[in-house]
Amino acid sequence: MGDASALRLKDRLRANDEAFARTGHLFGLSKLARKESDPGTYEAVWHILSNLCNAAWSVGCKVSSSPIAAEGGDALWALHTPTGEAICISRGITAHPGLLADMIRNFIELGYEDYPGFHQGDIFENNDPHYGGIHAPDFDMGMPLFYRDELVAWASCVSHVSDCGSVTPGSIGFLNPDCYSDGLCIAMEKVGENDAFYPWYEMRIKSRTRTPDWVLGDARGRLAGCLTIREKLTQVIEKYGLDFFRDASQEYVEDSRRYAVGRVKTQTVPGRIRKSQFKDLAMKGKRVLLGKQDIDCLFNLPMELEIEADAKVRISLRGASGTVPFGQNISPTALKSGLLMGYSHIIGFDMFNSGPKAAWEVEPPPAGSWANPFEKDFSASSGVAWAPAVMWLSSLYEVFGRLFQMRGFVEEMAAGAATTMTAEFAGINQMGVYVAGLTLEQACNGSPARGFTDGENSAWCLYTPNADFGNAEIAELYYPILFLGRNIEPDSAGYGRFRGGLGHTAVWMVHNTPGIEYQCGCAGIRSKTIANHGMYGAYPSIPDRPSYAHDTNLRELIAEQKPLVHERGDPENPNIAQVVKARELVTSAIAPFVTPEPLQNYDLIVHPISGAQSMGDPIERDPKAVEDDLNKGWVRARVAEEIHGVVARPNGSSAWFVDEAATEKRRAEIREERKRRAVPFKQWWAQEKQQVAARENMDPAVLTMWRTSMELSPDYGAELRAFWDLPEDFEF
Amino acid sequence: MADFLKADIEKLMDGVLPWPAVQDMLKSPKDPNRFDKYVEIVQGRVDWKERILLPLTPALFIVAKDGERIVKCRCGHEFGDYRVNWKLASLIHVRDDEASIAEIYKGRELPDPGWVQIREYVCPGCGTQLEVEAVPRGCPPDFEFLPDLDTFYRDWLGRPLPDACEYADKTLDAIRDWSR
Repeated sequence: MGDASALRLKDRLRANDEAFARTGHLFGLSKLARKESDPGTYEAVWHILSNLCNAAWSVGCKVSSSPIAAEGGDALWALHTPTGEAICISRGITAHPGLLADMIRNFIELGYEDYPGFHQGDIFENNDPHYGGIHAPDFDMGMPLFYRDELVAWASCVSHVSDCGSVTPGSIGFLNPDCYSDGLCIAMEKVGENDAFYPWYEMRIKSRTRTPDWVLGDARGRLAGCLTIREKLTQVIEKYGLDFFRDASQEYVEDSRRYAVGRVKTQTVPGRIRKSQFKDLAMKGKRVLLGKQDIDCLFNLPMELEIEADAKVRISLRGASGTVPFGQNISPTALKSGLLMGYSHIIGFDMFNSGPKAAWEVEPPPAGSWANPFEKDFSASSGVAWAPAVMWLSSLYEVFGRLFQMRGFVEEMAAGAATTMTAEFAGINQMGVYVAGLTLEQACNGSPARGFTDGENSAWCLYTPNADFGNAEIAELYYPILFLGRNIEPDSAGYGRFRGGLGHTAVWMVHNTPGIEYQCGCAGIRSKTIANHGMYGAYPSIPDRPSYAHDTNLRELIAEQKPLVHERGDPENPNIAQVVKARELVTSAIAPFVTPEPLQNYDLIVHPISGAQSMGDPIERDPKAVEDDLNKGWVRARVAEEIHGVVARPNGSSAWFVDEAATEKRRAEIREERKRRAVPFKQWWAQEKQQVAARENMDPAVLTMWRTSMELSPDYGAELRAFWDLPEDFEF
Repeated sequence: MADFLKADIEKLMDGVLPWPAVQDMLKSPKDPNRFDKYVEIVQGRVDWKERILLPLTPALFIVAKDGERIVKCRCGHEFGDYRVNWKLASLIHVRDDEASIAEIYKGRELPDPGWVQIREYVCPGCGTQLEVEAVPRGCPPDFEFLPDLDTFYRDWLGRPLPDACEYADKTLDAIRDWSR
C-alpha cells in the first residue's frame, strides 16, 4: 500500500481499473486480509465510519436552515477512498453516492490534482448534469481530506436546495424546456478553500436563487457535515493507524461487491428477466413555458436483466424512448447512481458503498433517449431528472422479488414501488417572506407488498430510508397553508393477495397570503396511466390525481361552522365537490401542473400521495384481511366484493363481518366468469395486431413513444414488429 | 448457518408466520438448501407428479415431462415449452375502453384507455389471474423470465439436469408459426 499511495491519483485510478480487470476483485483484493486477521476490529471500524457519516448528516441538516434539510433530512454525506469509491454513507437521499463517487473520480480524471490542486480545506462542487450531476437543485460537494500532508480520503455531500434559480420557482423543474432554464450551474468548480466558501460563490447564490438564505444555509450545512467527517476521521486514523484505515476502507468496498455477487448467486436464478414500464407527462393545453411544450409525452422505461453464469448482472434499457422538452432527462451517471441505491435496498445492503457497482454492468442507454440525452440533445433539461429514473427503478423491486421467489426466499420478495408527486409553493407567506419550496408529503409512501404480508402504510420512500413527511405544524410555519386533513387513503395501493402499503392524502387550505403558486409536480408519477406492476395477477395502484378549488366559499363555511373537507371521499363523488363551491373546481386533475392562477386565501388543495404495489390474485386475499381493511376504512365495500370477491356485511353496528360460505361461492363464480369472458391469446393477438397496425385508439403520445423507442433501439423495434407480424419497414 | 424448518417456510408462504420469526429469517444467514425445501413444499401442494424444476411464480412451475420442460399451473393445466412466453398459451381478457376499465378503477381513478390497456392473463384450467399487464397498445407481453436452467442446475446447484437444452427465447418462433 505504501507504493500505491505514492502514485498520483490518476495513476492510482488506472492501477485500480487494471487490477479489477485482471483479478475480478476491486483494488485487486483477492484476500480481505484485515477482515480475516482481525474481524472484530474490521467490523467495529466499519460501524464507527458509518456513524461518522451519520453524525455529519445530523450536524449538516441542523446547520442548514431550509425546511427540506432541517425538517426532511433531504441530504446525504459520504466518506470515499482517495480515488473516489464510496466507503460508507450516511442516511438520507441514497440515490446520490454513486454520482458523488463519480464526481470525485472526474475531478481526478480532469487533472484537478495538477490544477487547481487538492489541498486540505478545499471545497469542490458540481450540480451540472452534463458532468454527472442529477439536477441543478442537488448540490454535490467534495472535500479532499489530508492526514499529515497525505490525501487519505474524501468527504462528500449532496443537499437538495429549495430553489436553484431555475425558470420556475422551486426545485422540481419539470417545466424547464432546456438546460439553459435549469438554473444556477456549478460545473465541477472549486468553490472555496481553507474551509470557507469564496465570496463570489455566495454572491452568485444571493443573486441567482429565490431563497438565498436557505440555499446558503444548505451550503454551510454541507460544509459543516464534511468538516465533521474530517475531524472524526482524524480521530479514527490516530486510534487505528493510517495503514489499517487504508487497507480496511478498500476491503469494505470489495467486501460489499462480494456480498452483492454472493446474494445474486445464492438467492436468484440465472437467465433473462424483462419488465416493461411506462410513465406519462401530459402537458397539452396546460400552462407551459414554450410552444414546443404544448404536448403530451409517454416515456418507455424498459428494464432487461441478464444474470450470467458468474452471477454478473447485465442491465439494459434497450427501447428507452426519446428525450422530452421538459426537465425529465437524466444522465447515465445519475441513472446508475439511482441504480446503486435500488441495489442497496434489494441486493447489497450489508455495507452500503460503491462495491455493488462492480457487480453489474449497465449497457449504455440508447443515445438520444431520456436516459442518455446529451449525446444527441446537449441542451436537454434535467430539471427533475429523477422522475423517469425512479419509475424505472421501481421495476427492480418486482424483478428481484420474482427471482427471490424462484429460490424460495419468500421473506425477501417485494412488489413495485409507489410514485412521487410533489407539492411546491412559491409566493409570500404568512410572515410576509417570499418562500419557494417543497412540502415533504411525498417522502412517505406506502411500501411494496411483500411475499408474506401487506406493505406498510405511509412508512416508506424509494429515494430515502428516512421516510418522513415531516410535522404538519412545521410545514404550516414555512408555507401559508393549514392542514385540514392528513389521512390514510383507502384503495390506494393496488389490489392483490397482499396489498401494497396505502398512501395518504393531505388536505390544505391556503391561508394568510396575498397569493401563492401551487405546483403539483412530477418527481415520478403517472396520471394518465397506471404502473405495469400487476405482479402475479394483482391490479396496479391508482393514477395520481389531485384536486383543488380556487376562489371558494370556505370562508363562509367556516363562519357558519359548516363541515369542511378533511379527506378525498368516494372516487365518483369526492368530498370537495360535495362541500365546496368555487369558481374553479377540479376534482380529478391530470398531474403535473401549475394552477392557471395563483391560489388565494381559502382555496383548497387535496394532494394524494400514492401507495405502493400489490402482488397476487386479488381473490386469493385472506377474507379476514379484507374484513380488517373494511373495519379500518382502508378498503371500500365495492372493492371488497367486486375485486376481492369477499361478501361482507355490517353486523348491526359499524363492524363488518365476512360471510365465508358466500365468499367462497362468489370467488368460484369469479373464476368461472374469468374463463368465460377471456379468449385464447392467439385469438386476441390476431385481432390486436390489426389494431396495432391501424394505430387504433393509440394516443399521439403513445405513437411518438413507440416511434422514438424503435428508432433509437433498432433491435427492440425489430422484435416489436416481429411480435405483431408487422412489415419490416413499419413505423408508428 | 440457519436451517429453517419446512413448516415455518410454509407458514411464511401462507402469510401466517409470526413477525419475530419472519425477522429471524430476514436477519439470519440464508439456509443454503432453501431451494430444495421450497420445491419440496410446492411439489407437495400439487396433485400431479411431474418433477418441478423451477417455481416460476407462486402458481406456475417449470416441470420435466416426457423429456421436455414445460410450464404447468398448480391446477395441472399445461402451457408448453418454457422457452416460449407462457402467456401465448393462456386466456386473456383485455380492458381497453372506459366501461371495462371502470369495473376496476372508478371516477378519478380511471386511467385513459388511449394510453393504457389492462391485460388479464387467466389460467384456462382454474381461472386464476396469473398476471396483469398495464401497458400501451403495441407493447408485446412481457416475457418476465426465461431461466438458464442448465447453467442453474449445473453451475449453481452442482447437479446437472439430464437432456440439456438450448437456452433461447422461442416466443417469436411460435409467432412466426401463427403468421404462416
